[in-house]
Amino acid sequence: MEESIMNQTIKNKFASADIEIKRTDLSKVIISKERLFKLIAFVGKEYEYKILNAITCCDWIEEEHFALTYIMSTLDRKHTLMIQTMIGRKSATIDTLSLEFPQANIMERDLHEMYGIDFVGHPNLRELSLENWIHTPPLRREFDTLQFVNENLTFREGRDDNVDTKAEAKRLRAIKKAQKKAQDANT
Amino acid sequence: MQTPKHITIFHGPQHPGITGNMSVELDLMGETIQKATTHVGYLHRGFEKLIERRTVIQAFTIVCRICVPEPDPNEANFALAVEELAKMEVPVRAQYIRVLVLELSRLAAQFLWMAGQSGSIGLYAVGQWAIADRDLILDLFEELTGARVYHMYIYPGGVRRDLPEGFLQRVSKLMVYLKKRLKLYDDIFINNASFKNRAIGVGIIDASNALKQGFVGQVLRGCGIKADVRKDAPYLIYDKLEFEIPTQQAGDVYARALVRRAEMDQSIHILHQVIEQMPQGDIMLKMPTHRKFKLPKDDTWVKVESARGEFAYYMAGDGSEKIRRMQVRGPSLVHAYTLLEKLLVGAELSDVALIMNSLGICPPEIER
Repeated sequence: MEESIMNQTIKNKFASADIEIKRTDLSKVIISKERLFKLIAFVGKEYEYKILNAITCCDWIEEEHFALTYIMSTLDRKHTLMIQTMIGRKSATIDTLSLEFPQANIMERDLHEMYGIDFVGHPNLRELSLENWIHTPPLRREFDTLQFVNENLTFREGRDDNVDTKAEAKRLRAIKKAQKKAQDANT
Repeated sequence: MQTPKHITIFHGPQHPGITGNMSVELDLMGETIQKATTHVGYLHRGFEKLIERRTVIQAFTIVCRICVPEPDPNEANFALAVEELAKMEVPVRAQYIRVLVLELSRLAAQFLWMAGQSGSIGLYAVGQWAIADRDLILDLFEELTGARVYHMYIYPGGVRRDLPEGFLQRVSKLMVYLKKRLKLYDDIFINNASFKNRAIGVGIIDASNALKQGFVGQVLRGCGIKADVRKDAPYLIYDKLEFEIPTQQAGDVYARALVRRAEMDQSIHILHQVIEQMPQGDIMLKMPTHRKFKLPKDDTWVKVESARGEFAYYMAGDGSEKIRRMQVRGPSLVHAYTLLEKLLVGAELSDVALIMNSLGICPPEIER
């Protein structure tokens, strides 16, 4: 009951917000980038969604945007709100949340590295786990792992399984055939 | 800051006191830490990217590898997320078996923690005992799932195999044995003056801001906050089981050890209830073949309580047979950066391993 009142209040206050109830303990709100931080501050103040659990990102390359989701929980941890916003893929920028939530620092650093999103005002957008990475940020959809491996890495020599299986099967068949031919010629 | 009084050293990635393939860069003044910086990148296997290239069931085979000491919460999260997106209702017996596996896994992970925590202060005998007792649980896993560490058992739609005959009796018997053994661990480890002297008053966490900063698990429970996903947002059949959430007030390494020790008792208590209540019935839904199994265009957030705290997945489907995005949020990401870097300042060099172990940091889930 309380939740439906909250949803109604959000709808009244943020006309562009689109609310979906996913489970009894999980709801999702989609909101524009401009009003995102106001909504986060509002639900934090009014409904105790004060814990930032995670910032997730999903690349929708066909629709030309990233879906950034801020996962917020209430202080009693009984209800979770997914606050989602879309940002353009080309110049992906959004303000940082690390000043309000210290844990956002590392989460945004992770997303910056994996998607190339620029978090404006972030104090420390250094590399995290990829060292000297100069290619496309790896979790973008246009980054093809197989192509990257074929272009940038070499297969280790001398490994039995390091063969083109089709060519190898053809070679083995040819050997067998030749052996059989030789056997037939002998008899 | 390289002066005769200051030195910078790397604690890890090759160090017996580190909890995995990561390192902490320490600026020292004598023995006291002035600044700590966490570095990861030694174990980046790109799971989240790999999953985009695989079908749902192919992706299932690699999620358990995201955390080595306790793979089952990953499997459970993956299964819960897929089932929620595909709108599947899992049979009750399968849910009970999942809880059985998850609690056994929690117990095994706590034994492994005990080995690490005692090893970090040189009490090696405890480590040998704990690993041996953990092995008894792994034997049961081997019997049930065919594998000791990576079980790939909590399959979307249910569980992969039914319980072998007499399995529940063997679990029950082992629990009685472990309950007796745990009393010995109290004597040799928890109440041991060598551990108490090292752990009390070290690595104290401030309770006032702990929740808001995204800390989870024993870090919260060690400073008096009763946070546990099993009670806060029950999943599977945890709402039908009786158990307590142990807490301590001090917020130091010793408080977290006491919480973990009490949780082991609770796990045994839960396992006895699961064995008693285990219903008959199906263990698996009828699933489509993996090439035809498609997730709708939707997303969700699921979480379970791992042995180290809340473990959550974000999953998005796009209408195809592949998962569009799966993001892992383990306890370690925030603990290893926001918390550890702050907690180590002012601590002694010899306490680094002690503090790291008490936070339960597992690098594979930082760089997925």
